[in-house]
Amino acid sequence: MQFQQQPAQQADSLDLMVNMGPQHPSTHGVFRLVIWIDGERIVRAEPHIGYLHRGSEKLCEGEQYGQIITLFDRLDYVSNLNCELAFCLTVEKLMGLEVPDRASCIRVVLCELNRIASHMLFYGVFGLDAGAMTPILYGFRERERVQSLFERVTGARMMHNYIRVGGVKEDLPSDFAERLGELTALLRAGIDECDELLTNNELFLSRTKGVGAIGGSEGVDYGLSGPSLRAAGVAEDVRVSEPYSIYDRFDYGIPVGTYGDCFDRYYVRMEEMRQSLRIVDQAMEQMEPGPVSAKVRRIARPPKGEAYLRTESPRGDFGVYLVSDGSDKPYRVKVRAPSFANLQALQRLLRGAYVADAVVILGSIDIVLGEVDR
Amino acid sequence: MSPVEALYYGLAALGLMAFLSVMVLALTWGERKALARIQMRMGPMRVGLHGTLQPVADVMKLVLKEDILPSWADRRIYWAAPLAVFVPAFLVWVTIPVSRDVVIRNMDVGLFYVVAITALSVLGLVMAGWGSANKYAILGGLRAAGQLISYEVPFIMAALAVAMLSQSLDLTEIVDGQAVFANALVQPLGLFLFFTAGLAELGRTPFDIHHAESEVVGGPFVEYSGAHWAVFFLAEYVNTFTIAALTVLLFFGGWRWPDVPFDGGVHTALSVLWFMVKTYAVILVIFWVRGTYPRLRIDQLMAFGWKLLVPLSFANIVLTGVVLFYGWPLWTLTVLSLGLLGGAFYLISILPGRGPSRMTVAVRPARDLRTRAAGSSASGVDSR
Amino acid sequence: MIGFLDSLLVTVRTALRRPVTAQYPDPSKRQPVAEGFMGFPALTWDEDVREPYCTGCMVCVRDCPTQCMSAVMDDNPKHAEGASRRRKIVREFEINLGRCILCGICVDVCNFDAIEMSHEHELSKYERNGNRVDLTRLLEMGRAYQRETGWGPSQPKKNSGVPVEKPAGEREKSAGGAAGR
Repeated sequence: MQFQQQPAQQADSLDLMVNMGPQHPSTHGVFRLVIWIDGERIVRAEPHIGYLHRGSEKLCEGEQYGQIITLFDRLDYVSNLNCELAFCLTVEKLMGLEVPDRASCIRVVLCELNRIASHMLFYGVFGLDAGAMTPILYGFRERERVQSLFERVTGARMMHNYIRVGGVKEDLPSDFAERLGELTALLRAGIDECDELLTNNELFLSRTKGVGAIGGSEGVDYGLSGPSLRAAGVAEDVRVSEPYSIYDRFDYGIPVGTYGDCFDRYYVRMEEMRQSLRIVDQAMEQMEPGPVSAKVRRIARPPKGEAYLRTESPRGDFGVYLVSDGSDKPYRVKVRAPSFANLQALQRLLRGAYVADAVVILGSIDIVLGEVDR
Repeated sequence: MSPVEALYYGLAALGLMAFLSVMVLALTWGERKALARIQMRMGPMRVGLHGTLQPVADVMKLVLKEDILPSWADRRIYWAAPLAVFVPAFLVWVTIPVSRDVVIRNMDVGLFYVVAITALSVLGLVMAGWGSANKYAILGGLRAAGQLISYEVPFIMAALAVAMLSQSLDLTEIVDGQAVFANALVQPLGLFLFFTAGLAELGRTPFDIHHAESEVVGGPFVEYSGAHWAVFFLAEYVNTFTIAALTVLLFFGGWRWPDVPFDGGVHTALSVLWFMVKTYAVILVIFWVRGTYPRLRIDQLMAFGWKLLVPLSFANIVLTGVVLFYGWPLWTLTVLSLGLLGGAFYLISILPGRGPSRMTVAVRPARDLRTRAAGSSASGVDSR
Repeated sequence: MIGFLDSLLVTVRTALRRPVTAQYPDPSKRQPVAEGFMGFPALTWDEDVREPYCTGCMVCVRDCPTQCMSAVMDDNPKHAEGASRRRKIVREFEINLGRCILCGICVDVCNFDAIEMSHEHELSKYERNGNRVDLTRLLEMGRAYQRETGWGPSQPKKNSGVPVEKPAGEREKSAGGAAGR
């Protein structure tokens, strides 16, 4: 057995260094977490990232604007449309483009559905992290339903390349409203069933209540955003505070937690799914026939300049910073990835937790490695 | 030992081995199918009709796989551990009766023998954990040691209360004592304690912390592969079957309650069948629990064992003793036991906070937040 | 209701329902791909003149974000005979389907309705390079897609290969121009 003596602060204890990942089953991808444990308690934790680094930001500099959308699909590969939207909105902001109303409605409907699909995946893997093996299949059942609808609309289940600069690729299929109606009804029932399976279960509650708690102001200091921050009691949602696209038109709720523990982070997401369904319904009502794309040239050439735009992806504040030199390829693209920022709080959250909690806490901040490593 | 006796025990051991292997194969198939149903899947479907030959294919695969020895492993301990787990699991069945006549050797102290032998298997898990020279394995092995030893107490206590009720440690007599009504009706609390502690002894969900896949990646078994892993697997499922069989023997009247109204060979065959049906029903509940619950954390597991199950199992014994000593009718025991069980459920349900403190997420309308964000003109961050 | 008993009820309720999954290769239970499904790109076939729509112009090759395709352009012998309007025709076309990301950009940029996202999506092959498909296979996939969906070019007038009935002199002139180039 190899033990590692901790030199500095814990000179008296013989802590066991345990490598979780990159091959560990519950690190949500290729994430490596080195923890020093004293018995079952974590003394120190050190996340290592970069195993999935593909150089997306640099790759963007060599691609045309239209091609970059395919790269953004692969950043947060669980909520592709939200990433596409962020990039397209930034380019539109730089070009000063006005997007047709129908296109905006389509974007909102699909992005909110994508948020549900993403949170459903979170629900599944969070249950798996807590040790229950059934939630993942319930979650995937709902996710598959959403993806089947996406397949009808965008042609792909995951990497859509559907939202384009100036609008969307093509109009919705004729039976979309009908299918969406069926889907939302199924989703409502499915979300309630998922909720019932875990939320009131005392075993689940005891695993998540008070675990990995973080206060609101501290959360802000660590750069948390999205559901992780709202769980800590901060009512901050980019859709509300800096409305983009047409989000200022809808009437919905922002779930806000109290303690910022794993349970709040979990339930904020559950509740967010229901609110997303409300947005979907309203956006469908407001949708009117019309063009789905503004008149743009096939190869977009934004004017010289720079733009930054924040959007609320399922994981939090997803920002895109874009510098254009007037050519058909951007000069620089920088992504403010919410998973990456949320991961910063991991060390703080893990201190003093149990080994079993490490998995639950990591699951509750819901990272996607494609976005962390980019 | 006479040659006839030696032959008898030799054949009995072989027969037992064959019987248990078949049961394990059936269990693995049953578990995969049961979980699949719960999870709205189909489960194994390819090998044989509805995947019935899947366990055979699995065994073939496991036996043909390479046995890997980690270079840092403590070789002798590493190879001995599967046996140390399997042998007790196997030995227990020497005295467990499937029916009155179908038992290798009925013992007067059968129950004592069973609980004594099952306690040994913890050794194998710790050996596997230590021998593997793997940090996950050692964590898992130590977790297993802590868990199995703690839950041994309520497990034995619950069994003891049954022995008090039937005034015997002989499993056949315990079953005969339940000819009219099963112990489950008299001691619902005892059933709850025995079943829960039994789940923990098995290391099944929600007590599967020692081989928790999402935490310690299989715990003591992380380095094992091939036939040695198969032996662990076999032992685990034999244990599952044992606990289910014991639950049926101690609480559901074994092959009696209600009696099979036949004589002779037909009676034996039917009672074996009846016993099997009950056992598989209990096993189905184990699978059902596995398909539903998340797992407990080590400290919660210990707290649950020592702070809830152990006191309750003592209370169960005291209750049984009082009722027996004063010669009260048995339904008083049922009522008292149910009262305590209700209390236990209540305690479990208030543990993580009840009522308003349980739901800590509130939905705030976006409209209000918008006006506030516009009013404060800042970033909209409300750091309380 | 006590939560941990509630969960048990949920699982038993779902266990009594039919599974949502189906055995994979069973063709009758296979989920049909949606009409707009984007499978691998395939080359379309012009039935009227029996040649591909593709002229090998390389627009898709240049615009592909993953550089998964290559094409070679050739003079169209049928054009010289006067049987087709296409001056140039594709001679070789290869797509590495393992590299393709199914983004559909090639379809968007194609000026000749020559490439289309087919419904083909099976990626398992028996050879290492089985996913590098050549012109013949791409056209097969395209024709299967055309049969399946009744596909027609979005700009039939512009992209059809059927020679336009023009006055004889003009036709000769244009043919001569092509030959002279």
